[in-house]
Amino acid sequence: MKITRMHGAGGKVMQELIKDVILKNLEITSVNGGIGLESLDDSATIPIGDKEIVFTVDGHTVKPIFFPGGDIGRLAVSGTVNDLAVMGAKPLALSLSLIIPEGFNLEDLEKIVKSINETSKEAEVAIITGDTKVSDGVDDIIISTAGIGIVDRGKAIRDCNVQEGDAIIVSGNIGEHGLAILLSREGFDFETNIKSDVAPINKLIERVLEEGIQINAMKDPTRGGLADALNEMAEKSNIGITIFEDKIPISDEVQSICDILGLDPLTIANEGKVVMAVKKEDAERCLEILREHPLGKNAEIIGYATKEHKGVIIETIVGRRIVDMPIGDPIPRVC
Amino acid sequence: MEILFFGVKMKVRIKVKGIVQGVGFRPFVYRIAKKNNLKGYVKNMGNYVEILIEGKKEDIRNFINDLKNKKPPLSRIDKLDIEEIKGIEEFDDFYIIKSENAKDEEEGTIPADVAICDDCLKEMLDKNDRRYRYPFIACTNCGPRFTIVEKLPYDRENTSMRDFPLCEKCLEEYKNPLDRRFHAQATCCPICGPKVFLSDGKEIIAEKDEAIRETVKLLEEGHILAIKGIGGTHLACKVGEDDVVLELRKRLGRPTQPFAVMSKIEYTELFAEFDEDEKNALLSLRRPIVVLKKSQDYDKYFSKYVSNLDTIGVMFPYSGLHYLLFDKEIAYVMTSANLPGLPMVKDNDEILKKLNGIADYFLLHNRRIVNRCDDSVVKKVADRLVFLRRSRGFAPEPVKVNINNNKNILCVGAELNSTACIVKRDKFYLTQYIGNTSKYETFCYLRDAINNILRLTNTNKIDAIVCDLHPQFNSTKLAEELSEKFGAEIFRVQHHFAHAYSLLGDNNYFDDAIILSLDGVGYGLDGNIWGGEVLLFKDGKMERVGHLEEQYQLGGDLATKYPLRMLLSILYKAIGEEAFDFIKRYNFFSEKELRLLKFQLEKKLNCPITTSTGRVLDAVSALLGICFEKTYDGEPSIRLEPVANRFKGDINIEPKIKNNILNTTELIYKSYEMLLNNENKEKIAHFAHIYIADGLFEIAKKISNKFGINTIGITGGVSYNKIITERIMNNAKREGFNFIYHQRVPNGDGGISFGQGVAYILKNGY
Repeated sequence: MKITRMHGAGGKVMQELIKDVILKNLEITSVNGGIGLESLDDSATIPIGDKEIVFTVDGHTVKPIFFPGGDIGRLAVSGTVNDLAVMGAKPLALSLSLIIPEGFNLEDLEKIVKSINETSKEAEVAIITGDTKVSDGVDDIIISTAGIGIVDRGKAIRDCNVQEGDAIIVSGNIGEHGLAILLSREGFDFETNIKSDVAPINKLIERVLEEGIQINAMKDPTRGGLADALNEMAEKSNIGITIFEDKIPISDEVQSICDILGLDPLTIANEGKVVMAVKKEDAERCLEILREHPLGKNAEIIGYATKEHKGVIIETIVGRRIVDMPIGDPIPRVC
Repeated sequence: MEILFFGVKMKVRIKVKGIVQGVGFRPFVYRIAKKNNLKGYVKNMGNYVEILIEGKKEDIRNFINDLKNKKPPLSRIDKLDIEEIKGIEEFDDFYIIKSENAKDEEEGTIPADVAICDDCLKEMLDKNDRRYRYPFIACTNCGPRFTIVEKLPYDRENTSMRDFPLCEKCLEEYKNPLDRRFHAQATCCPICGPKVFLSDGKEIIAEKDEAIRETVKLLEEGHILAIKGIGGTHLACKVGEDDVVLELRKRLGRPTQPFAVMSKIEYTELFAEFDEDEKNALLSLRRPIVVLKKSQDYDKYFSKYVSNLDTIGVMFPYSGLHYLLFDKEIAYVMTSANLPGLPMVKDNDEILKKLNGIADYFLLHNRRIVNRCDDSVVKKVADRLVFLRRSRGFAPEPVKVNINNNKNILCVGAELNSTACIVKRDKFYLTQYIGNTSKYETFCYLRDAINNILRLTNTNKIDAIVCDLHPQFNSTKLAEELSEKFGAEIFRVQHHFAHAYSLLGDNNYFDDAIILSLDGVGYGLDGNIWGGEVLLFKDGKMERVGHLEEQYQLGGDLATKYPLRMLLSILYKAIGEEAFDFIKRYNFFSEKELRLLKFQLEKKLNCPITTSTGRVLDAVSALLGICFEKTYDGEPSIRLEPVANRFKGDINIEPKIKNNILNTTELIYKSYEMLLNNENKEKIAHFAHIYIADGLFEIAKKISNKFGINTIGITGGVSYNKIITERIMNNAKREGFNFIYHQRVPNGDGGISFGQGVAYILKNGY
């Protein structure tokens, strides 16, 4: 069996790869009782004294490397910062590893590094180490970033602690990143105004935490989109989540293009959004706080957690439908 | 075993298996035992009936003859175990003993619901009878069964009738072995039985017979009523007024799907044509909806909005309640009370809540519907009646297959028009119609129906669970859940293979065959969408040996919903960008949409590959301007068929085939050319049907000849199409082939669960 694009698309095929090939063959996967690899959370933790170091790594390949709303550099910094932030951690530092193909345009490289600089300043996170390789074996630039953050011991926010009755909040319009990439890659971006939402959201989350809002679970809905994130949270928490179609924030243009192409915006990647399970009593206040921040201005409460069913269910105008864990490309099922 | 006769008197124990629950079998046994001077007892054991008799050998012999030859009309004896018992005389009379649940895994079940019988109807209309105009009238030979039963054995206390203790008179009848209501589990009367009432949504405005009379008046005035019946709830209204029918369509969100109607034999003759088979089905104890051809005078009685096809689905009243609705009107729209894809509502609170804003008034009653059950639907194709839906009147009676099996197998079906199936030995117990399990409520209904059929068939152990290959079907996820719960292995059967196995099992035919498995969508072994498959069944194995040409489904499921997308995709293949100019003529897509669709088609973005027959017929339907949006399953193809039927003539067709693949681009291109040449639509539609039928038959014939096979069959949802199926049947017979088609099991996805079971047994048997 050979690796396919489906293995990297987020969703079931990728999950099976991780579980059956990677997790199955690694034996020492956690340190000092901290959150380890087997949790498949956004980051891992290493308890030291009264704190926990939060640690994550991300490999970035994207085509095209420059796209409306961002580029691979901004994506690398934001992705790693966000993986730390959704653990409730304060991001402290990043490493930067570049694998550059022979013949790569130097001006493009400079453009990318400048973008990295701008994004790291925006996130207020230092880049403190790195590596550079030139290779004739890759087609386009690959950036690998690792990041560390810090959180009080036992206070890391997991994606497996959704509680019954929690409000499910998403911080803004969904589907923008994945669709911007798709249209750009295929050469249709000139006809639309859709831009990637790629952005570091650590400051947004920090505001919520500073206000004492009780976030029981949190996740950034990247590959596989909101559908993947919610299904993971529901499954790991052993609870059901009901969401309401008319509450999900989505721009008219994203909705329109998805409607024409036959794509489900719930399964499309976001790179500057967070989904939270918030204690019900804190939900309205949380929403206010999010909306005060530019990155959270379109935040919505989209549903709630419930014991009445398993998995994720969406209420639509024509009834309730189960939201699947995405499996990569959609497969027709209507006869 | 043979009875060893010795001495003058003897004692014999008999086990009777088959349809012996809820069919008046025990009172029948009582009567013939008394008649033959025998003592002993008859006892209902849940999945069989046990009889113990003492008496003279001649009397016992006569009893056994009566048992075989005079059994009640609804019963069926599958097996008689007769065993001589030693011992002294111990009975002084013949008794009916209280029911007992069998402890073993012996299969057995209850019969389906039965329409009101002539005797009860006569009583109900007799002013002097105490059940005059009583809608819940029933007897040993008729009335609800499956829809009220909670568990076996079938006795009143195990049904929702236990909510209605019998009054003195009814109890007297119930206990009298010579009364036709002796042990009639659903019997009741105006004093002790369920009661109807009429609500306006806020309060009760009439009760009992007055509620029915008021209901009839409201219907005749043009109101829309929700009527709680036996297995669920219908929405009813007049058939003759456009305004009324359109209002119902608007409220239900059902813009074009034909409504079924309820009528009587003397009225049906006015608006529909039927032959002897169709008439027999209409009048049968099972009372299905029968799809009939509209007669010339149809338009005199019916609004054109009841059915936009050349057919009308008709059913006759099947309970006292429904008979009492008829006064001045010759027919009523009688459609399931549910929004598209969701289960029919059945509880009073649910009815009032969910049908608020849809029904003006509600005729309800206080008997619980334990197992909801949609109306069955049959249609005549290829000289026989086939099931579009096998439900009320049929479920959960098993389909018997001549096959060796010692496992309990649970099959969960596919996704749309779904059923589930329990297989025990050679009996396949199909559930009632479930529906679209991608909807959460319908999925829950599937789960409940499975739990229920497990209970009713006394199944505690499951050896295997069978499901579809499609990874995202909810039925597939349920199969995985149940597999863990029962510790059973899970087995996946390709969708079109399941259709083919369903056809084999339906016909009890397991020799080599070529099977055309045709429908709209099924997950293929190659990860593509299949639906136009030529399958070879040889030496017990199923193999894909031919198919329709692969086409791109532009936008995935959107191409099913909007068939112009399918047309655009195929035309693009034939004539390139010119296809976009042509499609503009339909004024369906905006300029922006067309640019995006062009981009999508060029880049093959969300353009899954399909060999579906349904998608090709849809494209023709769009090409001819017949249908641009699917609002119910199969709509574009279903509406294309009557257009094709209107063509009377011959067309010379040479289907283009290469490597056993039928070229459908050629079909669309030729149709497109005919349209540009101003050929009439009827001819083009007919051409498309014949091209598919003859093309697939050509492939089947070629492969049959290659392997020396002489049986050709057709199955799948497209096989409900009369033109295609009858063309293939006629081709097959003319060439001397044995033609097999469906009879007992639905052709479409309602038969997938049955086919999954057959597939499992055959694959594990070889």
